Amino acid sequence: MATLSTDVLVIGGGATGAGIAWDAALRGLDVVLVDRQDLAEGTSGRFHGMIHSGGRYAVKDPRAAVECIGENRILRRVAADCIEDTGGMFVTTPFDDPAYADKLAKGCADTGVDCEEITPAQALRDEPRLNPQISRAFRVPDANIDVWKAVWAMSHGAQQHGARILPYHAAVAIHRSDDQVTGVRVRDARTGEESDIEARVTVNAGGAWAGQIADLAGIEGVRVLPGRGIMIAMNHRLVNTVVNRCQMPSDGDIIVPVRTVSVVGTTDVNTDDPDDHTVNQDEVDAMLDDGEKLVPGFRRARALRVWTGVRPLFEDAKPAGTDSRDVTRAHALLDHEQRDGVRGFVTITGGKLTTFRLMAEETVDAVCRQLGETRPCKTASVPLPGSESGENYRLGERLARKEANLIDEQVICECELVPRARLEEAITRTGSTNLDDIRRQLRLGMGPCQGGFCIYRAAGILHARDGLSAEEADGSLLDFLQERWKGVWPVLYGDQLRQVRLDDWIFQGVLDVAHLPRT
Amino acid sequence: MRGELHFDAVVIGAGTAGLTAAVRLAQSGARVCVLAKGHGSTHLAPATVDVLGYAPDLITEPAAGLEKLMADHPEHPYALVGAEVVGEATGWFADVVAAGPLPGYHYVGSLERNQMLPTAVGALRPSALVPETMAAGERAHLVGVCIVGTPALRDFHPSLCAGNLAAAGIEARAVSLDLKLERADMSTLGIARHFDDPTWRRQFCAELALTLRAEEHVGLPAMLGLRDPHAVLTDLEDRLGRRVFEIPTLPPSVPGMRLYEILRSALRAAGVSSTLDGGRLSSVSTNAAGHNQTYRAPAYVLASGGFASGAIELDSHWVCHDRVLGLPLRGLPAEGAARFVPTYLDEQPLARVGIAVDGELRAEGAENVFVAGASLPGAAPWREGSGEGIALASGYRAAALIAGQSHTKQEATTA
Repeated sequence: MATLSTDVLVIGGGATGAGIAWDAALRGLDVVLVDRQDLAEGTSGRFHGMIHSGGRYAVKDPRAAVECIGENRILRRVAADCIEDTGGMFVTTPFDDPAYADKLAKGCADTGVDCEEITPAQALRDEPRLNPQISRAFRVPDANIDVWKAVWAMSHGAQQHGARILPYHAAVAIHRSDDQVTGVRVRDARTGEESDIEARVTVNAGGAWAGQIADLAGIEGVRVLPGRGIMIAMNHRLVNTVVNRCQMPSDGDIIVPVRTVSVVGTTDVNTDDPDDHTVNQDEVDAMLDDGEKLVPGFRRARALRVWTGVRPLFEDAKPAGTDSRDVTRAHALLDHEQRDGVRGFVTITGGKLTTFRLMAEETVDAVCRQLGETRPCKTASVPLPGSESGENYRLGERLARKEANLIDEQVICECELVPRARLEEAITRTGSTNLDDIRRQLRLGMGPCQGGFCIYRAAGILHARDGLSAEEADGSLLDFLQERWKGVWPVLYGDQLRQVRLDDWIFQGVLDVAHLPRT
Repeated sequence: MRGELHFDAVVIGAGTAGLTAAVRLAQSGARVCVLAKGHGSTHLAPATVDVLGYAPDLITEPAAGLEKLMADHPEHPYALVGAEVVGEATGWFADVVAAGPLPGYHYVGSLERNQMLPTAVGALRPSALVPETMAAGERAHLVGVCIVGTPALRDFHPSLCAGNLAAAGIEARAVSLDLKLERADMSTLGIARHFDDPTWRRQFCAELALTLRAEEHVGLPAMLGLRDPHAVLTDLEDRLGRRVFEIPTLPPSVPGMRLYEILRSALRAAGVSSTLDGGRLSSVSTNAAGHNQTYRAPAYVLASGGFASGAIELDSHWVCHDRVLGLPLRGLPAEGAARFVPTYLDEQPLARVGIAVDGELRAEGAENVFVAGASLPGAAPWREGSGEGIALASGYRAAALIAGQSHTKQEATTA
């Protein structure tokens, strides 16, 4: 059995885990990161894409608001290429408590969140699709983030500093020698092979799965209550700024423009299982109704896809008497040496995507404490690979690049403007034969046709390039279609059903993928 | 009346079903108008005539399979029109193509036996009648085959196609020829225009010949010319000294565009006016380029398609409508029952929704509206491999019913 040895082993390749790998690698530590699936395939890849200004928490949770605005300002610099500076808006619709607007303004002033009241007329000039009945409007510095781009940038950055990133490696056992965690046994999900990784400190960055990972280490009482929420992507940008309802945070009160689509979210349903991806009909109906309140006519737009994400809501079920718990914090950092007398193990969970960098910083600080070393954090000033210019992403960028090479370049995915060269580069770089992994890398198949045209092309290119057998390429194609269908059918109506019928025509009619030779 | 045009019959929809009904009506002497919002299914489909491929197991003899399907599913469109009409309609269709504007271009096959033709991904698909340009792809003829693509064509991947054919036991290999085309990104339509040019074709054959082995057939994406595919095929086969065939791939479909032109030409020959824009039915109004127009006729054919064309809609409150005439639907999942199932390739409960009709294709609640093609309920064309068969047979039958009805009326008046 192969054995790796490292300073820091991170379990969990979401934004926090990748952020920890990047942070620790920048501080000169040797790092290995493992995830049971692809990077950002859990909660990080399953949210609405919003970087909060802090306005949403300004009334309810001022400390979270302070963290958000601080991180918002940092991320715009260090993750510039992943962030689109859409700006955000809070609007009072006829469905909202009119008294909340003044509370918001005061909360923002108290927490340092930039917040400027504008007239409803100005708000409607900026966002003509908004409900014309709005009575108050505030501008805030919300933004959106391409989380896959950010996670891959951190992962590449960490690799450039020597880190080893191992997606599809599930932690199956955590090794302990008395009161010291010494490493982890992982299983390669693709080959089934197991190996051991020895580490001076193991970080549990499992998010909603952190309780399961703590159990593996024999740590009691790390209880993460998964809060499941659905999000629906609509086929274009119904709004160009993040629009929030001006009320206490609730379900379905945000619309976030992300790339070429907009996302409405979200619900909050307690569940026992973080892998529960049930989409309830009544949640879908509620989201569409909520969308309609912010943008009249919302239901006439095409719903592309629905997905669920699980918030990691941490509850320390260990009897009180420890000082490692900080109940006012949205995220929870558990130093198990302090909490349980177990050295070499740290858990980070809870929190929100906007503050992932801060969570990573605090976690690596705790790791350094355990290692007895002083290594200052650099992630607030060192830009991620690709973000060195400090320029934020703009929506027109891909089109501008594409138009420059109109004659010489083949576009494989028209919706998301993915050229052939980028697809081939991603296949080579990732070594992945899974088209769904490639989708997250390139946004291939994420647009209105949901892979109707590009996935046959991509499967053909994958097969020709990667030396796959035809059966393996077929499998990748069929898996993609099934995975796509999962997110499509619960919100399938109107013109999107028409689109899907066209896709059916292609896959089941012209190509007849249902009758491919199987082994 | 101002703004009104009067016809013997108005056909709504310009897919295979609508065009078939219109040509048949015109051939019977009726004054016909075709109204359509854009093109029909022809530009998307492989242009093979799929009558019955699966029920649910593979059907080798469609004629025999039809008998059983009709007996088992009395609500199926085939059961409404009858086996005889399916045979007549497909025979008529083959004649229309042969007499059409593309010299020598014809369909081969019959209802006696399905031909198994490769798709672009290398699956084998059953069709009853196929364009001559595809015939040599029939599995039974394929001893060895060279699948040929070109890097500029992103919509066809020869190695994957050949790989799957090999997995099905056919000796298949792939060749990717750099055709030095004008752009890095070409569609089959763009390359089809090159194939129409004899000089270009000669160069293509010279280059391809270098890579070919003894007896193998040549499979190319469906792009062997738009104007004169028969000449293109003959020329390629002569120059290469072997059988050559087309493989349908992603839209736009070159053989589908040929088919559309053939049916349009038959319409023109029969004197049909067609508009391409956008209790008892009394008239149809259209709005094209800001101009409103009313079309009135004693009989109408509704061949506007199903969910794919948008003629039938499921709205965001999960209610289905006929968006064209607001007619009642049939085949809807029961209240509260699933609209879709979670496995993509399983049959979806919504698949068999269509306009409710009686045994003579008359829409429920509109006795002078005859329904044809994908507007009909009770079929699952992709799963069954039955789309064109239903379109032809029901379009043909709808025309016969309308023509028969007006004959009866004329006779009554004369008497």
